[in-house]
Amino acid sequence: MARIVILGAGVSGHTAALHLKRLLGSRHTITVVSPNSKWNWIPSNIWVGVGEMEKKHVIFPLAPVYQRKGIDFRQAKGVAIRPYGDADDPRPAVDIEYTLPEKAGQTERLRYDYLVNATGPKLRFEATPGLGPDGHTVSVCTADHAVEANLKLRAVIEKLKAGIPQTLVVGTGHGTCTCEGAAFEYVFNVDHELRQAGVRDLARVVYLTNEAALGDFGVDGMIFDQQGFQTTSELWTGSLFRERGVEAILGTHVFQIDEGVIHFESLDGEKHMLDFDFAMLIPPFGGQPLTAYDRDGADITADMFAPSGFMKVDADYSPKPYEEWKAEDWPSTYLAPGFDNIFAVGIAFAPPHQISKPRKTPNGTVIAPSPPRTGMPSGVMGKTAALSIAGRLKNGKDTPAHTASMAQMGAACVASAGTGLTKGSAAAMTMLPVVPDYVRYPTGRDARETQGELGLHGHWVKLMLHYLFIYKAKALPGWQLIPE
Amino acid sequence: MSETPAVVADLSRSPLPTRVTLRRRQNVVLQFVRFVRFDLRIMRMVAKGHR
Repeated sequence: MARIVILGAGVSGHTAALHLKRLLGSRHTITVVSPNSKWNWIPSNIWVGVGEMEKKHVIFPLAPVYQRKGIDFRQAKGVAIRPYGDADDPRPAVDIEYTLPEKAGQTERLRYDYLVNATGPKLRFEATPGLGPDGHTVSVCTADHAVEANLKLRAVIEKLKAGIPQTLVVGTGHGTCTCEGAAFEYVFNVDHELRQAGVRDLARVVYLTNEAALGDFGVDGMIFDQQGFQTTSELWTGSLFRERGVEAILGTHVFQIDEGVIHFESLDGEKHMLDFDFAMLIPPFGGQPLTAYDRDGADITADMFAPSGFMKVDADYSPKPYEEWKAEDWPSTYLAPGFDNIFAVGIAFAPPHQISKPRKTPNGTVIAPSPPRTGMPSGVMGKTAALSIAGRLKNGKDTPAHTASMAQMGAACVASAGTGLTKGSAAAMTMLPVVPDYVRYPTGRDARETQGELGLHGHWVKLMLHYLFIYKAKALPGWQLIPE
Repeated sequence: MSETPAVVADLSRSPLPTRVTLRRRQNVVLQFVRFVRFDLRIMRMVAKGHR
């Protein structure tokens, strides 16, 4: 009997755990280690952040699901990986520290045969002084953050109702942020809420982003084939901003936030300030703090992890200019180099480089959206790791690993622009592949599958995905029929 | 270095949707057709790209 340890129970880790259980049954032990007791459908946090959905509708407790499925669940965080074992035992191990209130602070060393690192992001609010719920801005990165964001938004709406003009800023809190799509969704949901409240005319709504152009979304934008013409996501999103009267400030690196003032540098190297009454700024992501040791206890963290804290996998990490980036640079098996039993999936793997063109200001400040690897790609990676592990346990260690490169897989991105079954809208986009492949496609992506539409149907799609993925994550009957 | 007020992007050349387009975006019947079409596209993409 083998033991598979999965660090993290987000989209990627949870998907891996459910598929491993489905594929392996009770012949092997599957252990999930997550510091959180609840699963969160993060894409719907933006609705919690504007008060259109309650927190309880975007989360559910993990323990009952794992108990029902026969998966060993430890509410704990991974602290260290010992891929060569330790002085007492050559079997690889991972050190965990419990966050379960009854066992808080207790540590344990779990031996594993296979390890899946799906630890997700560390929200690095500390990268920008004054950023985040402990500073002067709000966030929608967690359900609790979103609840707080809504409370502050309500206070601003009350001031607007009292006739006091307010400036609301939504965007990215650092030059290297990712998840611009979430900020895009939130700004238009805020706009929608202000209109519903009848106070839009007194509000200045600003989208402050590290993207050099609207519609970049951290994926270098998209080219759509629409009605016989090629159009860009930049033109398409610019239209929405103009229609809604949302101002856009592009190519920014926020370096400090004081009470009511955001300080940022723009791509031309100029420094600016922007007054605000309400600000939701996404933090930059880093890898969760995991260390690695060899059998003698020597620190090998730098060998296994990139400086960003994300785990190195089968990608080409050799530094090269943007013009030389290739689809093949991206990993396909998510196996850690030198180990045939360690996978890193979802946000936990170190991307070889950005997807968007990275830029520097004349002052040397990097303004480069990080590649998104959430949602559909995260789920696909989790399933791929599960298939590889199950294949090896059933057919032998030499069984080739399954592959799922982001330069081959597609993604649907449905960016809400307001709620309501008849009044809602969303920008519904599909792209194939996520990472452009200019060798296979002249525009980098499959023109037939890369499309964007705006309308009420997009809201229905987002709502459908909300219910479908929560159903799937609860592992209710037929869950495996719902694709990642 | 002194800080100056933020410079807002000029979106005056971005195309504005016509009233017909805005109505079509909220038309329940038309949007239902698009909903079905978008779902089929996702499924096709899953079949094509998630190998």
